[in-house]
Amino acid sequence: MILAIAVALLGLLALSIPVGIVLFLLGFGVDQFFSFFPLIRGLGNLVWSTSNNATLIAIPFFVLLGEILVRSGVATRTYAALDRWVSWLPGGLVHANVATATMFSATSGSSVATAATVATVAMPQAEKLGYDPRLFSGAIAAGGTLGIMIPPSINLIVYGFLTQTSIPQLFLAGLIPGIALAVGFMAITAAICTLRPSLGGDRRTFPFPEMLRALLQLVPILLLFTIIIGTIYRGWATPTEAAAVGVAGAILIATLFGGVSIRMFADSILGTVKITSMIMLVVIGASFLNFTLASAGLGNELQALLDGMGLSPMGLIFVVVLIYIVLGFFIETLSLMVVTIPIIVPLVVAQGFDPIWFGILMIVLIEMALITPPVGLNLYVVQGARQSGKMGEVMVGAIPYVFAMLIMVGLLIAVPSIALYLPSVLSGG
Amino acid sequence: MEDHLLRIIRRLNRGVALLAGLVLVACAMFVLADIVLRQVGSSFGGTDEISGYVMAIATSWGMAFTLLELGHVRIDIMRGRAGRIGRALFDLFAMMALTGTVTLIAYKCWPVLERSLVNSSRANTPLETPLALVQIPWFAGWVWFALMAWLTFMAAAMLVLRGRFSAAEAAIGCFGEDERTGT
Repeated sequence: MILAIAVALLGLLALSIPVGIVLFLLGFGVDQFFSFFPLIRGLGNLVWSTSNNATLIAIPFFVLLGEILVRSGVATRTYAALDRWVSWLPGGLVHANVATATMFSATSGSSVATAATVATVAMPQAEKLGYDPRLFSGAIAAGGTLGIMIPPSINLIVYGFLTQTSIPQLFLAGLIPGIALAVGFMAITAAICTLRPSLGGDRRTFPFPEMLRALLQLVPILLLFTIIIGTIYRGWATPTEAAAVGVAGAILIATLFGGVSIRMFADSILGTVKITSMIMLVVIGASFLNFTLASAGLGNELQALLDGMGLSPMGLIFVVVLIYIVLGFFIETLSLMVVTIPIIVPLVVAQGFDPIWFGILMIVLIEMALITPPVGLNLYVVQGARQSGKMGEVMVGAIPYVFAMLIMVGLLIAVPSIALYLPSVLSGG
Repeated sequence: MEDHLLRIIRRLNRGVALLAGLVLVACAMFVLADIVLRQVGSSFGGTDEISGYVMAIATSWGMAFTLLELGHVRIDIMRGRAGRIGRALFDLFAMMALTGTVTLIAYKCWPVLERSLVNSSRANTPLETPLALVQIPWFAGWVWFALMAWLTFMAAAMLVLRGRFSAAEAAIGCFGEDERTGT
């Protein structure tokens, strides 16, 4: 059954059928060929119970929050402010790219939105100041991927929902690896630009009072992040409630910065509905497939497969990592996550691994998929925003950051507490 | 005629999506108000339950808008290598799969609503919401999605038959003008 499903999955995806629909079709197939009971009778109930869900409504809230911030011009100010603080490092403005992306990751739940925002703001600067376009754009694509790691993260909400794992704990677990990755990106940039100064632009320092003034621009975003994350961890609010607070905060910030108009608000709303429905079709499809697979006895078959392979738990993790790296070249990220969760997570958890830890590991692997060609969404987004030069330049520029992610994968496997430390100390939330 | 049809359903669904989005915003404000009330020791109660209903209804009605904006993710790996006619065939086939599946989903959603209507079921919560009240708009959203999928499929098929491939690609291709569809 597993082989048949894997083949059918890849085949249907390759036919360019929408991913959500592929999941339903697979579910129908499992029902038809591998189940004794007609599972399709449960379809209606499943669609209702999956979408009638107070946790998942956090998704549109976080999307809306990001859309409002992105369209309000806050990004431009943030970028300028961070430029004052990090451009003294070797590599100059490239660090501002990573830092801005990190800041936006902390408020937006989406990597693509983060990359798009930073790219639009940063790209004009690259040409003006004579930066090497490869490293400069690669840093944006890579920095943008942090959007799904640093909380709040829509992908972690989906993971938590499909695997019945605590979303606040997942958010906590993503914090240290996310920040470590950001620091790693900057370290790699600095190292490259020390070795080859021509790749970065001029290092610039700014008078201290100007830096302080710039800090003021960052306060609203930092405050918003603290409120969202703080309330979740203190147990004052569920992720959904925190997201609702975030929406109000974003509207407030956008109003203060003067970026609000009816048109901008309408566009934000339309963007939110579009992305939410896209995610939900995939999520509902995945729950249906999950349900049919479980009813058809996938668990036993997986166990048999595992016993047959004779893999040690570590061996299994290495195989899984390899699968994600290979699939990540070709499959878009949310889809990659959702189509693999029903099969891979039970396997991994059965071997005694922590599902929260594995969620974070999976996110790093999926971040990598976002910036590896030929299907690396962030590469296209950055290329789309710069409107000149070749796609290949962004791909080359992203390579150093792929190495940083690989190192993070190794670290997470060697030292799981990078992810699990915060959830274990703050498990009250 | 196809162009006219596509234009109408696009405009219609833009309106629907705007409405669905406004309901989501209203729900966020409702949740917020409840948090504030809780600080002073009071509460509306049932925000979770209502959020769930809003989510189910808003997403089912937003599906068709996402379809028309080419927002439902597809993997472009083989399609991207095909020629103009090949791409059109990929698109039509994908659209056919979607239309069929969504029609089946809408059809299978009916028994859920039917049972609530027949039994006058109420939610097992303090609000005791009559389930039909929230399931009717939810079900209607899926029917709407199926209907829009059929109309789009037929319009696109007509465009392809007339050899107007770029117009067909604009209607049911892989990427919209606004590429920020993923997460």
